[in-house]
Amino acid sequence: MNPVIPGPVPVPLPAPPWLLEFLLVFTFILHLLAMNFLLGGVIILTVSSFRGGRDSRHDELTRRVSRALPPVTAFTITLGVAPLLFLQLVYGQLFYTSSALMAWYWLAVVFLVLLGYYGVYWYQMKHDELGPKAAWMILVTAILFIYVAFIFTQNMTAMLHPQDFYRLFLNGQVGTILGSVTLLNIARLAHFVAAAVALAGLGIALLSRRWQAESPELADWGRRYGVTWFMGGTCAQFLVGLWFLFSLPLEIRQALVDEKLAVGFLVLGILLAVLALLTAPKSLLATSVAILGTVSAMAVLRHLVRQAYLRPYFDPHSLSVQGQWAVFSIFVVLLLAGLATVGWMLYVFYRPAAAHRTLL
Amino acid sequence: MNYPVWEPFILGGGLVIGIIAILHVFVSHFAVGGGLFLPLTERKAYRDNNPALLEYVKSHSKFFVLVVLVFGAVSGVGIWWSIGLVNPEATATLIHVFVWAWAIEWVFFIVEIAAAFIYYHGWDRLEPKTHLRVGWIYFGAAWASLLVINGILTFMLTPGKWLQTQTFASAYFNPGMMPSLVVRTAVCIALAGVYALITSAAVGDAALRSEVVGYAAKWLLVGAAIIPFAGIWYISTLPNMAREISMGGAPAVTIFAALSIFFSALVMVFTYFGPRQRPRQFNLVFALLLAVLALATTGVTEWVREAVRKPYIIYGYMYSNGLRLADLERVREQGVLKSARWVRQHEVDPQALERTGAEVFRVQCASCHTVDGYNGIRFAVKGWSWAMIDDQLAHLNSLKGFMPAFVGSEAERQALGAWLASLNLIPADLTIEPAPSALKAQSKDATGEGASQK
Repeated sequence: MNPVIPGPVPVPLPAPPWLLEFLLVFTFILHLLAMNFLLGGVIILTVSSFRGGRDSRHDELTRRVSRALPPVTAFTITLGVAPLLFLQLVYGQLFYTSSALMAWYWLAVVFLVLLGYYGVYWYQMKHDELGPKAAWMILVTAILFIYVAFIFTQNMTAMLHPQDFYRLFLNGQVGTILGSVTLLNIARLAHFVAAAVALAGLGIALLSRRWQAESPELADWGRRYGVTWFMGGTCAQFLVGLWFLFSLPLEIRQALVDEKLAVGFLVLGILLAVLALLTAPKSLLATSVAILGTVSAMAVLRHLVRQAYLRPYFDPHSLSVQGQWAVFSIFVVLLLAGLATVGWMLYVFYRPAAAHRTLL
Repeated sequence: MNYPVWEPFILGGGLVIGIIAILHVFVSHFAVGGGLFLPLTERKAYRDNNPALLEYVKSHSKFFVLVVLVFGAVSGVGIWWSIGLVNPEATATLIHVFVWAWAIEWVFFIVEIAAAFIYYHGWDRLEPKTHLRVGWIYFGAAWASLLVINGILTFMLTPGKWLQTQTFASAYFNPGMMPSLVVRTAVCIALAGVYALITSAAVGDAALRSEVVGYAAKWLLVGAAIIPFAGIWYISTLPNMAREISMGGAPAVTIFAALSIFFSALVMVFTYFGPRQRPRQFNLVFALLLAVLALATTGVTEWVREAVRKPYIIYGYMYSNGLRLADLERVREQGVLKSARWVRQHEVDPQALERTGAEVFRVQCASCHTVDGYNGIRFAVKGWSWAMIDDQLAHLNSLKGFMPAFVGSEAERQALGAWLASLNLIPADLTIEPAPSALKAQSKDATGEGASQK
């Protein structure tokens, strides 16, 4: 059966596809960093919360890390807006279709995120009041966010299979078609969760350095604890990643092997992850730089996989283009000004003179 | 027509968007107005050397963060989510025209969020001058995000010269953009007052409460006083038909438009004689009542703004059902079932006219109508014979100005009519008037079948 794919919008793209795809991948990396800290953070805090009753170090750690979660949630959401915007622009014909088929699930994401966000706040504010019961609170939040990740995995995979759209449409009711939960999708979800746990571990290790002046013991323990999660998550990732890689259909793997660029990014990502693993006990800075490289390489690889999947059906370069360069320039200038403004605010907030009390 | 049509049972797509959007509007305008309220009130507290007032601003900022950063941000994403599901064709078009505007808005969001957190956590950490500056940065970014999105919103109702030029500048600087910006800014100020009345009513100290209540009421009154003037300016930029619809052309819309004015007046009167004149007697219940009234005002006004755009989703460019005016001729020639991608049959099946009709309904009508819920079609055609339905369908746009013309072949129109007529049939008194055309013979069988199934 010929794939049924909606026709393109008769309005030209406001920039060439390479630029839009660059922005898509770049902003997705930013989103990943915040998302990993959030998703992995609630998972680690769940474990720590259940141990907090018996071990005061866990209790203190959850109290401190929970204060970081609301801003991280806010940035996960906001940083996620940009890649989804560019995705809709370039791949809208596929994305809107797969989304409409699973509309109820997709719309549910909004409400689940809202609940999870308030869950994060509630956990932070009621941490001491609720005591051991707070652990259940954060457990529910973690389940909510993992479910959100699951729906995202389903949709982002479904949009890569336009050849299935019409069959799904015929056999189901629009809005309720989540698509089958394949081993590939489970591997993909596990790949994201393992990365989240590892990066959140690293994040906690970095955060614990801020506790040094106040309680050096806790800071030291927190660093080791975070690094343990990082190393555990990364080691698990070598297995999960392989599982995911070999769950990909043969023709996709073949297409990736044929493309030198993809192999290069895969090897680079793995090597940097190994480097991050080796440096983790000694230098958090080196680990952070290396793992940032891994995340970026993997995000590029993910994009190449997407292109390999869609090559027979859809080519963004076939879309007409008429650059809106004047507005684009305004965007670039405002982006730089915006980042400078945020930088200034962070500077005045964190400069030593301001540190009458600690935030995180 | 290009995308699968999602039918969210009794709600219908329009109401799904509407519910999320109205709640978002009610919070997001507070996100801007409250952003002005915070630094201005903080400055007042410093100037008057009033530590009690400063304490109030601090507590208000916590409420602000919990409402705005969480609900405001997520519900904004929710609107985007829902329009992509309900009107993918229009959403895709808007994103093609405005992606850089949205990218710019995104930059403002990032600044806004960072500023809000630093403002909220910075009360004891920052010098008063610096803290105040962060507050102003928040307000600047928040208002700028309104500046951006407002132009996109008004574009849908008044696309102006874009229809000819197709340039970004003519799309963004459309006729409705400036007046709407003034209206929305005034709404922001008024809503800052509404929310401040809630937090001020909860203040424990009686003297402070009385002071803050009177102050908050002033915000509401100042904002509300600007709205009618800016509103008239805004209405003057609307297309003629949109004005007619709201002023008698469509009864439901007219009633809602009247309600919008009535609720606004009520809010103003209550605020003036309540918290403004008698701040001492003001309490939380009164504050919440005012907030509910203000929400109702927001709801009916946004509903009217959406309704007057009918039959278009982008005025003069695309109908509510996602059909571009430019494609009308093609669809008319090919037929709607052949033009639509997500249908189970591409031909009219004379043996099963009603099933075909239901299919036509889905791709052409379901973006506004449900069968039994919001804008329910079963009720709308109750008591109508097939001949009458067919006549209505043939002259839909002239009989009902807020609806697009039926687009499709004659056989498709009759199939749709057969299905609509079958919705209210009671087997016992099944009398279908003769079908208006050649399909007469087959269709009698078909309706008989449909009725016996019921």
